[in-house]
Amino acid sequence: MPKVYNWQIGREMEFPYEGVRPAKQFAMIMDTNKCIACQTCTVACKTTWTSGRGQEYMFWNNVETKPYGYYPLGWDVNILSRLGVQQMGGPVYTGKTLFEAAPEGERILGYLPDDLDWAHPNIGEDDSTGLMPQGAFLQTPHMQWMYYLPRICNHCTYAACLGSCPRQSIYKRPEDGIVLLDQRRCRGYRECVKGCPYKKTYFNPMTRVSEKCIGCYPAVENGRQTQCTITCIGKIRLQGFITTPDKAREDNPMDYLVHIAKIAKPLYPQFGLEPNVYYIPPIHVPPQYLTQMFGWGVEQAIATYRRAREDKKLLGALLLFGATPDIIHHYKLEGRHTIGYDEHGGELVRVPLREPIHVRVVYDDRHQTYRSNIT
Amino acid sequence: MSAVNKYLLAAAWMLAATVPAYSAETVLRAIRVQAHDASGLLDPGAAFWKNAGPVNVQMLPQMVAKPANSSPATKSLKVRAVHNGHWLAVLVEWKDPTRNDRVGTDNFGDQLAVQMPVQYSKDAIPGPMMGHPGARVDIWQWRAAFQRDLEQGEHQALGVYPHAIHQLRDLYPNAVVDLYPDEVLRATDARPYMGALGVDNPISHPRRTPVLDQMAEGFGTLTVEPDQDADGKGVWRDGMWRVVVAHALSSAEPESDINLHPGGESVIAFAVWDGGSREVGSRKAWSGWVPLKLAR
Repeated sequence: MPKVYNWQIGREMEFPYEGVRPAKQFAMIMDTNKCIACQTCTVACKTTWTSGRGQEYMFWNNVETKPYGYYPLGWDVNILSRLGVQQMGGPVYTGKTLFEAAPEGERILGYLPDDLDWAHPNIGEDDSTGLMPQGAFLQTPHMQWMYYLPRICNHCTYAACLGSCPRQSIYKRPEDGIVLLDQRRCRGYRECVKGCPYKKTYFNPMTRVSEKCIGCYPAVENGRQTQCTITCIGKIRLQGFITTPDKAREDNPMDYLVHIAKIAKPLYPQFGLEPNVYYIPPIHVPPQYLTQMFGWGVEQAIATYRRAREDKKLLGALLLFGATPDIIHHYKLEGRHTIGYDEHGGELVRVPLREPIHVRVVYDDRHQTYRSNIT
Repeated sequence: MSAVNKYLLAAAWMLAATVPAYSAETVLRAIRVQAHDASGLLDPGAAFWKNAGPVNVQMLPQMVAKPANSSPATKSLKVRAVHNGHWLAVLVEWKDPTRNDRVGTDNFGDQLAVQMPVQYSKDAIPGPMMGHPGARVDIWQWRAAFQRDLEQGEHQALGVYPHAIHQLRDLYPNAVVDLYPDEVLRATDARPYMGALGVDNPISHPRRTPVLDQMAEGFGTLTVEPDQDADGKGVWRDGMWRVVVAHALSSAEPESDINLHPGGESVIAFAVWDGGSREVGSRKAWSGWVPLKLAR
């Protein structure tokens, strides 16, 4: 099996194909601290892409409550238990990836969920880890906790769906790294459904072939961020393009947040897929759990995130989330603003680093009336 | 494909081609029967099959390409062949305690494939594992799910959505859906919402026969032919599949279809997938080539 370099685990690893990186890599950053699980992203995706026959159960975008929410049921704990306990240190991961843990005769370690596992997309919603005892008080990390994890296809650099398919029906676009499943070529073997540890390929029982998130490529081709990103009312998402750490550009907000500030982390990097959706970890959750889910360095990421208001460069990148429907390729700080630019340097959006505050006098002379705070 | 894989594939093919699974007298002889058209050959219960001498075919696990299943459920097939001067028909029988003809995420269908070289010559027989580059094979794949579609199709064709080959409620009786795009849009406008059906994937598209007529030049190259010259019928009863797969002896597509004539000879091979054991794609049981002779 060829060897490829996975920067997230800091070493070479096995992959069924030679490693070829795309010219640009689609990426997304989600701030879990801001997500309220309103599912607007889920509905935006659903109405845009999966309203047809056989797609009834599909949510290419979903939001689940962690630790007890899963779509499909138990997706992450199932594959984690199959992979077994691994050494989770960084920056070089010494445990096994899913490719390296492949059983005899298989391309990857995976499992096929039961049909019914997809039947409870909102299971575990708002369930906390436990009850608060008498006399408990708030401390960080919280004694009992839950948080929301929004998920789309990770458009992995070393996609398991792509590596699992014996027909090469799945391909990674050289221009933007979006992973697509060819609807003409697929024959519905479901090796991708079995192989993807994130369970983000779906079998359509009406067409009898598999489908997956398409990264809203018609929008991305036109410089627009995905539907799930631009409809997010909490402005938790930023979608753009990421480079490898050795080529990181400080003026690319994705690069800045992932490679320089290091506050956004991949989902289960130990699987070895080099996923390209990055999460700002929830600040109130115990670091042991977060390390298993987002890899090493989560405590540092949270510490940096908590200091964001003192770090203008970081604050400037974070304020671009949800600020424009267009894809931001560069940003810079200018006075009291952060400015996002498109691929050609055209200004897309200008966001103040501090919301302007207007103080109004309590008594309005003109209308001869008192103002209260809520009017 | 890496050089190592190519080597393994070539080695396995040579090994498979030389394994003496069948003695010199083990020949599948296709007797000539009176039938005006192909449909007269398709009944697995027809009396003429009793006159065609059966050949037992040993099935082996596909172990060359990953993913592989080292212990597929089907161990042997009983095969008979007939022809009517224009069509070749093969009756394949095998034990299968479960009839799997519904396909869902965790439900796989039973399938049978019959394979023959497109160009047969004693000196250059294609690899039995779906041929190899430059040595094309014709593969006719019967699917239990297609058979079910056709049998259920008569009343569905009268339904509101004649283009839908089968309905959600067939798989999920309690499903409730407000509205589908194809209920409110014109057919052409609805196509983008129909996934593989909207781009005419032959696996998704409504079928006239339960058999896909395909060609291949090695693993991963299986391609459905533009013109379909295969037909068939499968019946499951008492833990046994009896499936007839038929194909025209020759067609207008000599590049992708067999070219045979009464009195001629070739070789034939088989693959079976047991849906109940989640066999699909490369997880299958296959056979080596069996010599085939057509009566005059």
